[in-house]
Amino acid sequence: MKFKADEIASVIQKEIEDFRGQIQTAEVGRVIEVGDGIARCTGLSNVMSGEMLEFPGGTRGFAFNLEENSVGVVILGNYLKIAEGDEVRSTGKLLSVPVGEALLGRMVDPLGNPLDGKGPVLTSETRPVEWLAAGVAERQPVKEPLQTGIKAIDAMTPVGRGQRELIIGDRKTGKTAIAIDTILNQKDTGVICVYVACGQRASSIAGVMEVLRQNGALDYTIVVAATSSDPAPMQYIGPYAGAAMAEYFMYKGKHTLIVYDDLSKQAVAYRQLSLLMRRPPGREAFPGDVFYCHSRLLERAVKLNKELGGGSMTALPIIETLEGEVSAYIPTNVISITDGQIYLEPDLFWKGIRPAINVGVSVSRVGGNAQTKAMKKVAGSLRLDLAAFRELEAFAQLGTELDKDTQAQLDRGYRMVEILKQRQFGPLHVADQVVAIYAGTKGYFDKVPVAKVAETEAQLHEFIRTEHADFRDKLVAEAALTDEIERMLKKALEAFVARLAVKS
Amino acid sequence: MSELRSDSRPDSVLEDPGALAVSTMYAQSYMTAAVSAGSTAPEEELNSLIDDVLAKFPEFRDLLMSDLIGRDQKLVILDRVITPQCSEFFANFLRVLINHGRISLLPMIRSVLVKLQEQAAGKQRIRVRSARPLSGSARAKIVDHLKSTFGFEPILQETVDASLLGGVVLQVGDTVYDSSLRSRLKQLKGRLVEKAFNEIQSGRDRFSHPEGD
Repeated sequence: MKFKADEIASVIQKEIEDFRGQIQTAEVGRVIEVGDGIARCTGLSNVMSGEMLEFPGGTRGFAFNLEENSVGVVILGNYLKIAEGDEVRSTGKLLSVPVGEALLGRMVDPLGNPLDGKGPVLTSETRPVEWLAAGVAERQPVKEPLQTGIKAIDAMTPVGRGQRELIIGDRKTGKTAIAIDTILNQKDTGVICVYVACGQRASSIAGVMEVLRQNGALDYTIVVAATSSDPAPMQYIGPYAGAAMAEYFMYKGKHTLIVYDDLSKQAVAYRQLSLLMRRPPGREAFPGDVFYCHSRLLERAVKLNKELGGGSMTALPIIETLEGEVSAYIPTNVISITDGQIYLEPDLFWKGIRPAINVGVSVSRVGGNAQTKAMKKVAGSLRLDLAAFRELEAFAQLGTELDKDTQAQLDRGYRMVEILKQRQFGPLHVADQVVAIYAGTKGYFDKVPVAKVAETEAQLHEFIRTEHADFRDKLVAEAALTDEIERMLKKALEAFVARLAVKS
Repeated sequence: MSELRSDSRPDSVLEDPGALAVSTMYAQSYMTAAVSAGSTAPEEELNSLIDDVLAKFPEFRDLLMSDLIGRDQKLVILDRVITPQCSEFFANFLRVLINHGRISLLPMIRSVLVKLQEQAAGKQRIRVRSARPLSGSARAKIVDHLKSTFGFEPILQETVDASLLGGVVLQVGDTVYDSSLRSRLKQLKGRLVEKAFNEIQSGRDRFSHPEGD
């Protein structure tokens, strides 16, 4: 095909001939002082709080503080190009980001500008970054499960669609890994995922991108990245921008999952902004409204009612603690806002129990409503059993002589702990999880040496998938452990155990 | 016409908005007090003090505005030098300013006072930026149009900004009416880009599966 230069020229010429420019009316002000990502401006007498403003050269900002004689503006972009006396224009619009299907598979900054070098984001739709969360009447209870693909979570702290489940733990305990596994597990489920990296190292974001790409998860995922080298305002609005992008899909009736990685860094960015704006500091020098900063963000995660399409937004906020200190300001705030938490411990992590979930402290307040019937049945007593096991284990360490029953209970406990271990980037289908947990709790692994449990479990999944596919399909379809399915499962497991006996 | 800024200050350096608010308060009070004191032209004495005394004797200005000199000393100086030559009302005004430590705001109070008087007379300052100096007829046209639209007597403050390329930009208060060639070209560019965007998008849509891939 050959381009016709004349044709293109004539199209543009016609466009120019038909162009009737309108007089642009805008409210303006002037910069009095600028620095550290914020500017103080005079004028702008009718500006709205949160309104988008434009500096010369196209840098954008938004009105953050409306004061008697001046307006405090947060600059989103390079503030070094802005000088005292520059004109600031109001745009009459609240801070908005582009939304839509075109964002899927892309990595963008919190303003929607592409960062992945794949060209412009081709969408004409935008959505305000700040959006009032759906009211009580617009919601319905959380009841559909959102499978994370991680046995320990789906069995004991299940997450429902529209729930906010906090992932909390020290650095290097696998918080991001859980969130990424959950995203990977949404493949072919129609759930749109948004991963908001806030204050993360650029290298780790690149790593996450690569994992998502390799596992084919980018097709349904948007990555919003505000790295630690981005100015504080970008890190502050990142989560809100991500929420706006997810809401677009949610209000279209789709299910969405959003990961905020992590909110402690967002709180730090917000603290920086507030202190620079001379808002009074409170506890740990955070501003008084840091609770509202998180609560209004997390309230946007909802399960909408049928009239609104029944879409949902599940939020997995991440909080990093220091030395396991959950009673610090930000962790307690976010714990009280969310519907439960997954608590990760470095001790467990270094013992090799990965994911390093502390089962005793982790809870899901929506709980059993968000579990398939099958999982509810097999995992019902798992948490209590494990708690009893931990107690016994501590007791056994004293070197006490144990009776046979107690020893058996201990042995099974060790095997359950092994079964709940899972490798990274290897989410399991809920049916496979049910099989593994059922086999563990009913003692089918009792004869297997503890060190070989993981290997045997993998063999079991292979065995079920290849030789009892009909049973697995049925379990997948019905998602309940009816008498018939349980009978089939028992039969399959007995066959498997028999084969193990032959092998050894 | 008195300018807000003195010539030595670059255009980009702005007044402290807090000081402006305080000056406005003093200027308003001065005007109101002048009416009840029977003073018909309160700005006369103020202008004379600033232009004839403070401008001509910068050392005296520095002395009066310096923080090194105490208020009591300033009052003594005031009584010796200025009070014998001005009305009792104006002397009182200066005493209040000195007592409140606001004497350094005097030039700003003057400029606000001028604006307030203009407003009271139904006039308003309009900033006009154009690419080339306005011709007489263009100026008259702008004044007529502003008068009929806003209903006040405009005082044009003209500046020439070649980067506008053509057209004019009017600023009334905080609102800017921009019909410069530069912003029109920007609009045109935006529209062409948007059109190209839509073309590309529709081209993509033609090849993609309607239910997603």
